[in-house]
Amino acid sequence: MTMSERTEPASLKKRIKTLESQARDAQRAIDELKARDALKTQFLSNISHDLRTPLAAIITHAEILRDGMLGELNPKQRDSVSGIVSGGQQLLDMIDEILTYVRSASDQVNLVPTEFNITEVVDQVRMLNQALAAKKHLSIERLNGDDLPPVYADRDKIKHVLGNLIGNAIKFTPDGGRIWIGFSRRGKEGEELVVEVGDNGYGIARDHHELVFREFAQVDASPSRPHHGTGLGLAIARKLVELHSGRIWVESELGKGSRFFFTLPLNAQRE
Amino acid sequence: MASPTRILIVEDSPLVTDAFRVLFTEAGYEVDAASTVAEAIERGTSTQVDVMLLDLSLPDGNGLEILEALRERGSLPRSTLAMTGHSDPKSRRTCLDAGCSEVLLKPVPIGELLRQIERHLA
Repeated sequence: MTMSERTEPASLKKRIKTLESQARDAQRAIDELKARDALKTQFLSNISHDLRTPLAAIITHAEILRDGMLGELNPKQRDSVSGIVSGGQQLLDMIDEILTYVRSASDQVNLVPTEFNITEVVDQVRMLNQALAAKKHLSIERLNGDDLPPVYADRDKIKHVLGNLIGNAIKFTPDGGRIWIGFSRRGKEGEELVVEVGDNGYGIARDHHELVFREFAQVDASPSRPHHGTGLGLAIARKLVELHSGRIWVESELGKGSRFFFTLPLNAQRE
Repeated sequence: MASPTRILIVEDSPLVTDAFRVLFTEAGYEVDAASTVAEAIERGTSTQVDVMLLDLSLPDGNGLEILEALRERGSLPRSTLAMTGHSDPKSRRTCLDAGCSEVLLKPVPIGELLRQIERHLA
């Protein structure tokens, strides 16, 4: 025991009191932040829902015009109206992405696991992205996986994760690049499946490897950034992978492409 | 001459209702609309409805309540297409169990919507 502790019990008591009061203040601040965060999540949910309705009306009207139901359009008019439809649909996809994020952030996502072949889902997502990739002359290949046992997971959610990763790869790989999906197994008996989505695109600086999985975070967040989006794709992917007790990470260097990995337990416990 | 096929749009957004009204009128259907559960029950009992296009979230309740009320009154439409924002199997099951002929994910592309209506009228 030091001299001061023995001789100054009063000052020690005072110090404890101060610390206790500071702890209370900190707790109050945390509670307030949590309440505000919940309010923000609710706001996002409401606004997304409210944006969806008029947008649906715009798309329907544009489809009516495009399909000539109010009279034939000339080819230029049809192209222009088709632009309204596809722009509207793109906007709708972004709103849906926000809604998915809100649901996952407030733990409203329920997994509906079934047994399925993950390679089938990968091939489906490749097909869905073929047109987009072709515009940039990108190839999307699946390297292996034909001999994998079925996984037990929520098929739609895993499809969503793959869609986000492959969508990003397309966005951040310049013309003529390469995107691949591969599988490997880890653990003593290969009980963990590692899925890789790789590309030889722009890559991500080491400092940003954590940041990219944070909600609303974009490496280039300026309004003039060349790649737009909600900034939620990877945050959602992480949530959905973690709901499956898996992990997600990236290995990348600027200018050397990116390799995103996520794991899924191969023999996940069934209910 | 047979009377034209009558569609009842149950939807709380006038913007969406207007868009559907144009679509179905141009496609040759007779169109009626309701924006609340109460209004839909009234329209569904006082007129003959062939197809009901049903938005599930309405200001005064759940769209499925309309089906129940119309069934009690013996006024069920020939088919009911539910429109929902959720694609999960559980809410789909709930709709089908309540008597919907089909559950469509909003917004439904118009080609798909017209095909589904034709299919359920056949």
